[in-house]
Amino acid sequence: MKDNPNYTEAFEELQSIVRDIEQGEITVDELSEKVKRAAMLIKICKQKLTTTEEDVSRILKEIEGMEGA
Amino acid sequence: MQTEKIYTLSAVTGSIRKTLSERYGSPFWVKAEMNKLNYYSHSGHCYPELVEKDGLRVIAQMKSTFWQADYQRVNKKFLEILKEPIKDGIKILFQARMTFDPVHGLSLHILDIDPSYTLGDLELEKKETIERLKKEGLFELNKRLSLPLLPQRIAIISVETSKGFADFLQVLESNESGYRFFHMLFPALLQGEKAIDSINHQLNTIRKLIGHFDVVCIIRGGGGDVGLSCYNNYELAKTVASFPIPVLTGIGHATNETVTEMVSHLNGITPTRIAEDLIRQFHLFAKPVENARQYIAQQAKVLVADEGNRLRNEVRLFKNSTENLVSKNGQLLRTEKSNIGTHVQYYFQKSKQRIQLFSTDTQKASNSYLKSVHQEVKYVMNVLQKDSKTSIEKNLQGILRLESEVNMLSPAQVLKRGYSITLFNGKSLKDVEELSQGDVVRTILANGEISSEVVSLKQES
Repeated sequence: MKDNPNYTEAFEELQSIVRDIEQGEITVDELSEKVKRAAMLIKICKQKLTTTEEDVSRILKEIEGMEGA
Repeated sequence: MQTEKIYTLSAVTGSIRKTLSERYGSPFWVKAEMNKLNYYSHSGHCYPELVEKDGLRVIAQMKSTFWQADYQRVNKKFLEILKEPIKDGIKILFQARMTFDPVHGLSLHILDIDPSYTLGDLELEKKETIERLKKEGLFELNKRLSLPLLPQRIAIISVETSKGFADFLQVLESNESGYRFFHMLFPALLQGEKAIDSINHQLNTIRKLIGHFDVVCIIRGGGGDVGLSCYNNYELAKTVASFPIPVLTGIGHATNETVTEMVSHLNGITPTRIAEDLIRQFHLFAKPVENARQYIAQQAKVLVADEGNRLRNEVRLFKNSTENLVSKNGQLLRTEKSNIGTHVQYYFQKSKQRIQLFSTDTQKASNSYLKSVHQEVKYVMNVLQKDSKTSIEKNLQGILRLESEVNMLSPAQVLKRGYSITLFNGKSLKDVEELSQGDVVRTILANGEISSEVVSLKQES
């Protein structure tokens, strides 16, 4: 269980929580923790959908570096 | 010296011209490869370079002329039928007239070109590209890649000012869900022969930056559906087919799918469709996330409610069964209490009776026993009194008789009756064997003793 999963990991973990609930494998004791975790994963997933970390200027610099080499 | 006739140069060229025009009076059909079109934009005329090759070797070559009006007419036909203009490097079947110009020499004057011949040739090239890619195992490579869960970083090969590019970005960026894409343009020519190198070059640049991108989109749009046969080129199709990340094509409404589009991961045909597909991919990711959110929220509530119900049921059940148990035990206790009272009373009564019975029995028995003992004692005392006198007398007489019998048996009496006792060495002799001849024995009689020496011995057998 990583604290900063990428979207594939976040997505898969979320699916596994859903599966656990579907199969009745989550007890009331764990529920609160699982729901908290799911909320965090959902937030991460939604954030991934609406933000991007790439930067054109950084890539352009990389291209210049390649051409200079 | 000079006896033979001398011609001027123009007379020679004139003669050649005359001969040729007589020999090649009417136009004829020729097939050849048009190496170069040599179009001159200011005049509108073309001076195509025609060759015939055997493999790579040129076995025939001729200049030709293609006048502006003919060129325009034929080019229009090409665009209609081939969706391609007349261009360098195509095979043509053309109608021509032989011409000879005294200054420019021999050339073919092209009157008409049959587009269907060239079409067949282009189709052949396309077929060969497909077959070669299949044979080399490249054809399906890009299709087999899986699109990343979120194809968010897009390398776009397009023309910045093209309508297709603008449409593509518009769809991507105005999506209602607020999905955010990163895109970077790699400008290239997108039609005509030069597009091959141009697109290849940009794909190679992207390949070097591959870590930054999830997909490549080749976007063309606006402009007619002409000049697309470059996408059947083997080199370009090969680069796309073997590209390490999915290549999506939105080249336009071509009647026939080009090889590059065939080998691409997804051919969306129009730029808009490609953008919509990418957004759909985001939906595919977002939808399950949203579903999961709703499901988890709902199931969590259900789970808590179920647990509450179960708890309440347990409590009710527990209360009921304990109440039952308490009342049942109370009942049992009460019954036992009254039972014990009765039992104890009964037992005491019974015991009392038994003790009473026992005491009267004991009294009776001891009385009768004492009575019988008393009688017995009385009887014995009577018997003793009666019998003791006679018994004493009888016993006295017996004793006197015994006394005389004992006296009769004393040794003195026995000796008197003639018996004697023989002693040897002070002991009475009972066996002849104890004696030897010459031994002296003592014989006791009633009134004295005799000493005698043994003369002879005789043992009775």
